[in-house]
Amino acid sequence: MTSPLTSTDISLRVNGEERSATADVRTTLADFLREGLGLTGTHLGCEHGVCGACTVLLDGAAVRSCLLLAVQARGAEVTTVEGLAEGDRLHPVQQAFHDSHAFQCGFCTPGFVMTTVALLAEEPTPSRERIRECLSGNVCRCTGYQSIVDGVALAASRDAG
Amino acid sequence: MTEVGARAVGASVRRVEDPRILTGRGRYLDDVVLPGMLHAAFLRSYAPHGRLLSVDVAEALELPGVVAVYTGADMQRLTEPGKPGVIAGMDQMPGMALPASYGLAVDKVRHVGDPIALVVAESRYLAEDALELIEVDIEPLEAVVSYADALDPAKPPLFEEVGSNLAFQMELPLGDVDGAFARADRVLTATISVHRHHPNPMETRGIVASWDSAAQKLTLHASTQSPHMLRLLLPPQIGVPMEQIRVLAADVGGGFGLKNSVFREDVAVAAAAKDLGRPVKWVEDRLEHLATGGHAREEKADVELAVTDDGRIIGARLDLVLNVGAYLADPFPGSTMAMAAVMFFQGPMKLEALGAKATSVFSNKATYVSYRGPWATGDFLRERSLDIVARELGLDPVEVRRRNYVVRDESPLAMLTGTPYLGVTTRECLEEAVRLLDVPAFRERQEAARAEGRYLGLGLAAYLEGAPPPKTNGERQADIVGDETTYLAVDERGRVVITTRQQPHGQGHQTTLAQVAADELGVRFTDIDVLWGDTDITPVALIGTGGSRAATMANGSVLHGSRALKAKVLALAAELLEADAGDLELADSTVSVRGTPGIALPLAELARIVATEPERLPDGVDADLRITEVFDGGEGGWSGGVHACVVEVDVETGLVAFERYVVVEDCGLPVNPAIVEGQIRGGVAQAVGAVLLEHAAYDEDGQFVAASFLDYLMPTSTLVPDIEVHHVQTVLNDPDVNFRGVGEGGMIVAPAAITSAIEDALAPFGAQVREQHLPPSRILELVGTVPVR
Ligand code: FES
Ligand code: FES
Repeated sequence: MTSPLTSTDISLRVNGEERSATADVRTTLADFLREGLGLTGTHLGCEHGVCGACTVLLDGAAVRSCLLLAVQARGAEVTTVEGLAEGDRLHPVQQAFHDSHAFQCGFCTPGFVMTTVALLAEEPTPSRERIRECLSGNVCRCTGYQSIVDGVALAASRDAG
Repeated sequence: MTEVGARAVGASVRRVEDPRILTGRGRYLDDVVLPGMLHAAFLRSYAPHGRLLSVDVAEALELPGVVAVYTGADMQRLTEPGKPGVIAGMDQMPGMALPASYGLAVDKVRHVGDPIALVVAESRYLAEDALELIEVDIEPLEAVVSYADALDPAKPPLFEEVGSNLAFQMELPLGDVDGAFARADRVLTATISVHRHHPNPMETRGIVASWDSAAQKLTLHASTQSPHMLRLLLPPQIGVPMEQIRVLAADVGGGFGLKNSVFREDVAVAAAAKDLGRPVKWVEDRLEHLATGGHAREEKADVELAVTDDGRIIGARLDLVLNVGAYLADPFPGSTMAMAAVMFFQGPMKLEALGAKATSVFSNKATYVSYRGPWATGDFLRERSLDIVARELGLDPVEVRRRNYVVRDESPLAMLTGTPYLGVTTRECLEEAVRLLDVPAFRERQEAARAEGRYLGLGLAAYLEGAPPPKTNGERQADIVGDETTYLAVDERGRVVITTRQQPHGQGHQTTLAQVAADELGVRFTDIDVLWGDTDITPVALIGTGGSRAATMANGSVLHGSRALKAKVLALAAELLEADAGDLELADSTVSVRGTPGIALPLAELARIVATEPERLPDGVDADLRITEVFDGGEGGWSGGVHACVVEVDVETGLVAFERYVVVEDCGLPVNPAIVEGQIRGGVAQAVGAVLLEHAAYDEDGQFVAASFLDYLMPTSTLVPDIEVHHVQTVLNDPDVNFRGVGEGGMIVAPAAITSAIEDALAPFGAQVREQHLPPSRILELVGTVPVR
C-alpha cells in the first residue's frame, strides 16, 4: 500500500526493457525490483549491505540494491540475474557455475552471478587470489566458496580461450 | 562438468536444480505472492528478562494500512500453548522440563527478541512503522545468563512452573568407570568449552499462511527442512486438524538443522491468517534472525581422563552443562543434545569406560536449535582430550591418535554402547592424512619457521557418524525418525516420478535420487522427475532432510523401489510382447528382448497403453505402475574420516591463515562426488567461521551484542581455504546400499582440527587451548600479548 503523499512513479530500464511502477519514495531498489516488478531473482540476505545477495548491475556497476532507494535508480539501466540468459541458453558465467557445481541452496547465487559478471567485464583474467578478493563481499553459507571460485575461473578461462 | 554416461551413480552429474537457481527462477519463501496477501512484523523484547506489564497497541491500530495487531492475550484467545518435544517422545524422559509457551509472550519476556506483538498490515514497511507505535511496559527481572547463574538457586527461574532453571539432567555410566581410573597411571583434568554460534542460513526463517474458510483448509508455504513437522505440531495449538493442513516448500535457502523446528512465530502467523481469513506473510529479517532465529552449541565440560603412560585414554568422566536458552525447540529440545554430546565422546576411541553427567539449563538467551552435528561438542571434547594427553606426555598428537583410535576388526569390536565398529576406517584415514601432510617434514619446517619467528601448527581430528550405524546384534537401533518411505511411479507419459519425503535445501536430491533411479531402472536420467515439498503428496516424515540421512535412507529407498518398479514394468511388458519377463531388459527407457533385436517397447508406449488401451492387457494383470518403498537402512555403516590442517598464526595481529586443509573421508560410495565434496567443504567453512569469527554473544546483563553481520562475522572467500578431499576405500557392509551420509561431518570434526592446529602453532608460548572460539583477541591472550580478561 502506498500513500498518495509519499508515492511516486518510478521508471527505469531493467534488463533492456523500459519498466515503471508506482512505489513509496522510501522503497529500496531491491524491494522495487522484487515487489514492484516481480523480479524475485534478486535476493535479500541481510538488508544491511554486508551479504551481497541483492547485487545487481546499475549502469554496468555492481551495487547492493538493498542500500539504494528505487528513486536513486530513476532513468538508469539495471541488470538483474533474470536478464542474463538468452532463452534456455545460460550466460557464460551461469554456464560455468553450472559446470563447476558452484552452488548448493542457491540463495546467495544471484548475488555471486552479478558480482562475477561485473568482475569479468573489468578484469577478464583474474588470478584465483584476485577472484577470492573480489568475491569477499558476498556471503555464501553452503559451499565454502571453492566451487564458486572454480566457476569464476572456468568462466574466465573460457572467455579468454 | 559431467554428462550422464552409462552409469549415473558415481559421476558428478550436473545438477538439475542449477538452471533454475542460476537464472533467478528458484522459488524461495519470500517469492511467494498470494492474492490479498498481508505482511507481518513482530515486536520483540528489548529486555532479557522481565514481567510484561502491558502492551498498548491502540496507536498502532490507528495507522492507515494496519489490519490487525495481536498480543499474547490474543494468542491465549486464539491458540493453545505448545508443549515442545512431545511428538519426539521427550515427555517420556524422566526429569525433562518441557514448559509450554504461546506464539507471543504472555506474562513474561525471557530473552532479547522474545516476540511480544504481531502487526499485520498491507505492506511490510507499514507493519514495521506500526511496531514503533506500540507501547510496552516491562518490569525488569534479574537476568540469568551464565552457567553459574542458571545453576544458582538464588536466581529467578525463567519458568515458574519448573521451579528452577534446570532443564534436564541425566547420568550415564558405561563400563567400569572406577576400575578404569584405578588402573590409570595418571589422571588429567581440564575444563573445555564451546561458545554459542548458529546455523545462520542465507535465507532466514519465514512462512506464508493462508486459510480457505470454504474448504476449511490451512495452506502454509514455509522455509523448512521438514514440511510434515508443521502439520504434525500445529494442530493442537491452532485447532486445525492435521488433515486440513497442507505445507508447501519449494526451494529452501539453507537450514543446517535450524529449519527442522517449528517456531513460535509459525504458530502466531498461522493463527493470525486463520483469524483474518487472509493470507499473511512473515519473512524474518537478518537482525531478527541473528538475535532469535535459533542459536546452537554453548556447552562446557569438566573432563577427567584416566590415562596410561603409553598415552591411552582408558576411561573418562565428563560433567557437561549445556545452556539451552529460554524456550525449547520443538520437536527436538536442545536439552537432549547434552546427552547426545557425551554419548558421542567415544567416537572411534578405544575407551573402556565412560561416566558422564549431562545437565541442561535455562537462561535468558535465544532458543538452542540443532546445528549440523548437534552432538559435535562430544567429538570436540574427545579430540581436545587426545591433544591434552599428547602434550602432557610429550608425545606427538599423531602418535597418541594411533594408540587410541580403533583398528578395524581388532578389539574392541564395538563401542561402549554396543554399536559395532563394523567396517570402520578411521586408522586408514589417519595414515593417509599423515602421508598427505608429510608430518615428519612438517615438523622440521615448523622448527625452522619458529626460528624465524613464524608460527606454524598442524592439527588433526577424527569422527564417526552412523547414518544409520551398523546394526547391533542384527537389530536396527530404535530411531525416532524411522524408516524412509518413497513413492515411485511410471506416469501416463512414461516418465518416472519419484516422490520423496526429503526436503532438499541445497543437497541436490532432485539430481541424486534421479541418478540412483536411472541406473536401477534403466531409464534415461532426463526421463525422471523428483517431487518433494508438498505434504498432500509426500510420505510423512518426522525429519525431512537432516541428520545426514538422505544418502543412505533416501537413496536406499529409491534403489529398492526402482527395482520393484522395474519388475512391474517388465511383467507388463512381458504380457504385451508375449515374451518371458526373464528375457526382457530395460535400458535407455525402452524394454527389449535379449537376443531378439528389433523388438522394442519404449516405456512411454507401455505407459500409454496402460493409460488409454487397458483392454490390450490380459484380465487380472497388475497394471498399477506405482510402488511404495519402505527402507530401514539395511546393514548401515559408518561415515567418518580425518581432517588435518596446517595453519600459520600471526602473533602480532592474532590472525590465523590456512596453509593447507586436507580431508580424508570415508562416506561409502558417493552418488555424486561433486555434491559430496560440496557438503564436506561447506561444513568445514562453517567450522572456520565458528572457531575464528562467529559468536552469538550476550553481555553479562543478557543483552544480545551480535545482532548484525558487522558484529556476527561470517567467513568469506578470503578466509576459507581450498579444501582437499580424499576418499579412502570403503568397506561395503550392505549388499546394495553403501551410500553414507556426509552432510554433518565437516562441521563435526573441523573445529577440533583447527583448534588443534592453532594450539600446536602456539606451543612455544605454552598456550593451552581449552575452548573453541579463537578470534584474534583470544589468540593475543594465548600468546601473552594482552592480559587475559
Ligand atoms: S541484502 Fe543487500 S547486502 Fe545483504
Ligand atoms: S549456496 Fe546456499 S548460501 Fe550459497
